[in-house]
Amino acid sequence: MLYAQILLNGLVLGGLYACISVGFSLVWGVLNVINVLHGSFVVLGSYIAYFAYAHFGIHPFFSIIIAGALLFALGYVVQLGLINRVVGAPVLTTLVLTFGLDLLLNNGMLLAFSADYRSVQLADPLGSAVVGGLVFPLDRLVAMLLAGVLTGLLYLLLVRSKIGRAIVAVRMDREAAALMGVDVKKIYAITFGIGALMAGAAGSLLSLVFPISPLAGSEYLSIAFIVCILGGLGSISGAIVGGIVLGLIQSFGALFIGPQHGLTIAFVLLIILLIFKPTGIMGRRGYE
Amino acid sequence: MRSYMKAWLLAVASAAVFLAQPAVANETLRIGAPLPLTGPLSPEGLKQQRGYDLWAETVNTAGGIKVAGDVYDVEIVYVDYESQTPRAVQTAERLITADNVNFLFAPFGSGAAKAASSVAERYQIPMIAATASSSSVYDQGYQYLFGTFTPNSTLTEPLAKIVANSGQDVSTVAIYARNDLFPLAIANEMKKSTENNDLEVISFDEYAIGTMDHASALTLMLRSKPDWVFTTGYINDLILIRRQMADLGIEPKVLTMIAGPAYQEFIDATGDHSNNVSSAAWWHPAVSYDGKDIFGSTADFVAAFEAKYNAVPDYAEASAAAAGAILELAIEQAGTIEPTAVRDALASMDTVTFYGPVHFGENGQIDSLEPPVFQIQDGKAKTIFPEIIKQADMRFGGIE
Amino acid sequence: MKRPVIALIAFAIIACLPLLGDNYLLRLGTMFAMYAVLAQSWNIIGGYAGYPSFATAAFFGLGAYTGAILQGLGWPMPLAWVAAGLLAAVFAGAMGSAILHLKGHYFAIASLVLAEVLLEVTTSWTSLTGGGMGLNLPIIRMSIAAQARLFFWSMLGLAVLTFLMSWYVSAGRIGFALRCIRQNEDASSMVGINTTRYKVVAFVMSSLFVGAAGALYASWVFYIEPPDVYSVMTTIRPIVMTMLGGAGTLLGPVIGSAIFLVIEEVVWRNFLSVHAAVLGILIVGLIFYLPNGIVGAVARRFRKRGAEKGET
Repeated sequence: MLYAQILLNGLVLGGLYACISVGFSLVWGVLNVINVLHGSFVVLGSYIAYFAYAHFGIHPFFSIIIAGALLFALGYVVQLGLINRVVGAPVLTTLVLTFGLDLLLNNGMLLAFSADYRSVQLADPLGSAVVGGLVFPLDRLVAMLLAGVLTGLLYLLLVRSKIGRAIVAVRMDREAAALMGVDVKKIYAITFGIGALMAGAAGSLLSLVFPISPLAGSEYLSIAFIVCILGGLGSISGAIVGGIVLGLIQSFGALFIGPQHGLTIAFVLLIILLIFKPTGIMGRRGYE
Repeated sequence: MRSYMKAWLLAVASAAVFLAQPAVANETLRIGAPLPLTGPLSPEGLKQQRGYDLWAETVNTAGGIKVAGDVYDVEIVYVDYESQTPRAVQTAERLITADNVNFLFAPFGSGAAKAASSVAERYQIPMIAATASSSSVYDQGYQYLFGTFTPNSTLTEPLAKIVANSGQDVSTVAIYARNDLFPLAIANEMKKSTENNDLEVISFDEYAIGTMDHASALTLMLRSKPDWVFTTGYINDLILIRRQMADLGIEPKVLTMIAGPAYQEFIDATGDHSNNVSSAAWWHPAVSYDGKDIFGSTADFVAAFEAKYNAVPDYAEASAAAAGAILELAIEQAGTIEPTAVRDALASMDTVTFYGPVHFGENGQIDSLEPPVFQIQDGKAKTIFPEIIKQADMRFGGIE
Repeated sequence: MKRPVIALIAFAIIACLPLLGDNYLLRLGTMFAMYAVLAQSWNIIGGYAGYPSFATAAFFGLGAYTGAILQGLGWPMPLAWVAAGLLAAVFAGAMGSAILHLKGHYFAIASLVLAEVLLEVTTSWTSLTGGGMGLNLPIIRMSIAAQARLFFWSMLGLAVLTFLMSWYVSAGRIGFALRCIRQNEDASSMVGINTTRYKVVAFVMSSLFVGAAGALYASWVFYIEPPDVYSVMTTIRPIVMTMLGGAGTLLGPVIGSAIFLVIEEVVWRNFLSVHAAVLGILIVGLIFYLPNGIVGAVARRFRKRGAEKGET
C-alpha cells in the first residue's frame, strides 16, 4: 500500500511538473530559445488567478482563460518586439537576453506584489478522497487533469490548424517554411505567445497547490529545465514523460534515500542522461 | 479684556518659538541596515524594514534624539544584499567606510549576522542583530554585537514541557526540518528538548531548500503515526507542508511549526488548516510591558504599527523596532553618539521596553526575555505560555 | 605586442591601491580582481571556443569549499588555494571529457547542471561541509589592514596570472585552434585539429584559476554557504562582463569586469529596490546595442576609419 501511495504521489506531482514544462519545451523546440522568463510567466499566471479570485471570486480553474489570454499577449509582444531581433544569434545571446528580461519582470513583480507568500483559499476546497486506502488529493488531481486537457488542445492545435501546421513546419525547417510563404517572424511570435499562454494557464492551476511569490519563478524554471532534458526537447510527449519521470524519481527517492536527496538524484540522472543520450528519453521528434 | 490680551500674547510668543525651531537644524544620526530586499529572504528583509522605518519615523516625529544639547534626526541607510551572505559582509564594510554610519543593524538571520559581526567588531561599531538567535553567533567573544533574540532552546524547552506535562498521552515525536541554518538548528534544539522531557523522537528528516513536494516524506510519517509532528522551515515551506498534511490526512495530536504561524500570512494562506497549529516566537502582540522607550507600552506600539501599516506586528517586525528603541535608549544613557560609549551603555543596559525587559548577557545576546508559546485557535494566535500573558489553554487534537 | 604590456602596466598601477588607505576601495579592488579572474577564464571557453559554458559557479563553489575544508584541517592558506585550483581543474578535465561532445543548448545545460549537482551534494553532505549551516573559516591572526592588503594583492596576482594565461592562449596555437572550433568545428577537425583535446584543454584552463579564486574568496569572507558560492549569478556575471568588454578578445574581459563593477556599484547604491531591473535593462541594451562589446565596437570604428582613409 505504501508503494501504491508513493506511486500515486509521484504521478500527480509528475503531472504538475509536465504542466509547468509544456510551454517551455515548445518554445525551445521551435525557436531554439531557452526562455528564462518561463518561470516568471508561471508566477504571473498564479497572481492573475489569485487576484481574480480575491477580487471577483473567479475560481482559478476558470481564470485559466484570463491568465492564458493575457500572457499570450505579453509573450507575443516580447517576441515580436525584442527576441525576434536576435533569434538567429548564438545560444548565448538569446539566453542572456531572456535572463535580462527575467530580471526586469521578476523585479517588477516583486515591487508590485511584494515577496510575501500568498495562496488561493477556496471557500469550499475539494479536499481529498480516500479510495481503497489510497489518498487522492483532489485539487492537485483536478489541476493535473485540466492541464492534460489543455495539453491535448495544444496538440490538436498543432496537428489540425493551419497555424499549428505552420509552427511544425517552421520547427522542421525554417528556410523551407519561409520559401513556402510562411511568415516566420509571426509564427515565432505566435509560438512564444502560446508558450507564455501555457505558462500562465499552468500558473492559474498551480495557484491552488503552491504558495505564490515572485521567488517561486526560479524554482519553476529549474523544474522545466530538468523535465525537458529528461523527456527530450520540444515535444509534448517528451514534456509529459519527463515530468512523470521526475515526479517518480523524487517520490521514490524520498522513500529510499531520504527527502533531502530527491533533487540530487534527479540532477545526477540528468547529467548521466545528457552524457549518454542528450536527446532525452523520448528522443528528438516533431509533433506528429 | 486683559486675559484676552494675555492669551493672545502667549499665542504669538509660542507661535514664534514654534516657527523659530526649524531654524536650528537637527543633526543626522545615520544607522546602516543591510537587508535582503531581493532574493529568497526578501519577505523577511521587508519585515525588518517595516520595523526600522516605524522606529525612525516615530523618533523623527517626536523631534529626534536629544543628546547633550544636540538633537539628532534618525536616518536609516538601507542596502540590499540580495540574500547573499558575503554581500552582506561587504555591505556592512561599505556602510561604515563609505556611508559613515554611526551604528549598524545586522543583516537577517544567524548566518549573515555572524558573518557581518566581524566587520562591526573590526571597526568598533555597535551592531544590533534583530533576528539572530543561534548561540554560535554570540560565542566569538565579540564586544560590539548585541542580539534581541534569546537562544533557540528558550523556544523549544517550554513547548516540550507543556506537551510532556499535559497528561494527553503524547509520547512520540516526528521532526521534519529544512536543511538550512536556522530551521536545522532549532530542529536539533527541539530534539534535545524532547529528550530532556522523556519524549521519544521516532524520526528526524531533513528536506532540501526549494523542495516543492513533501508527499513522500509525509506518507512515511503517516505510517509511523507520531503523536507530535514538529516541522521547521520558512513560511512558504510550512504553508505547503500544512496543505499536504491535510491532503494526506495526517492528524497528530500536536502540530508545531516554526517559524511561520506567527505571521498573519500563514493563517491567510492555510485557512482552517491553521487551527490548532502551535508555535513559539520571541515576541507576541499579546505581551504587555510598560516600556521606558519611545514606543511606551506594548499596546501603544501595536497601535502605532497598526496605524502605519494597517496590520498587526509580528515578532520580526517588533524585534526590528525594538532594536531601534534599544539603541536610542543606549545613546541617551551614554549621553553621546560615540560608538564605544554607546557600546558600554548597551552592555550595562537593564531596562524595560515595549518588547520586554532588556538586559544583554556577557556574550551580547539578550537574556531577559521569556519567549511566548502560542497556538492558532479559531483563526487567531492565542498565547499559551508564559502564565502572566496566557490567553488560552493549549488544545490537543483538532488538527485536520 | 603593445596592448598586453599596457594592460600589465595598468595592473601594476592598480596594485598601488592600498596606498590610498581606503578599506572600502580596497574591497572593491579585490572584487574587481576576482571578477577579472572569472571573466577572463570564462572567455577562454566561452569567448575563444564559443562554447556557452555555465560552469563558472561549479568551479568557483568547488574551489571555495575545497579551500575552506583544507584550511579547516590546518593547511596553510596559499597551499589550500593551490589545491582548490587543481581540484577544480581535475574536475573540469573529467567532466569536460564527458560533456564537451554536446553542442549548443545541450552543452549549456550540462554545464549548468554541474553547479546544481555540486550544490545539492554540498548541501546534503553535512558532515563534511556543514550543509545548509554553512562553513566558518579559521580566524587569521593578522591586523585588519594587513588582511585587506593580503587578499587584495593575492586576488590581483591571480588576475595577472589569468591574464598571462589568456595572452598565451590568444597568441599561440591553442587560441588558433579554439577560434577555428568557434568558426566551424567539423571543418577544423577535418583539417587535422584535434578538437576534443583542445576543447578539454580550454575547459580545464577556464576552471583552474576560478577554483583558486573561489578558495581565496572563502578565506577573504570567512564564511561560505552553498547557495552563495554556487549562485547562478556567479555564472552569469562573468558572461555579461565578457560580452560587455568583448568576447574572444584579450582585453575585453578585463575592461568589461572593471566597467561592470562600477555600474553594479552605482546601480546598487542608488536604486535600492530596482537594481535587479536596472541590471536587466543593461543586459538587454547590451545585447541590442553592443553585441560585440566595447573592444569590438572600438575595433570596428577604427577599421571603418581606416577603410575611409584607404578610399580617399
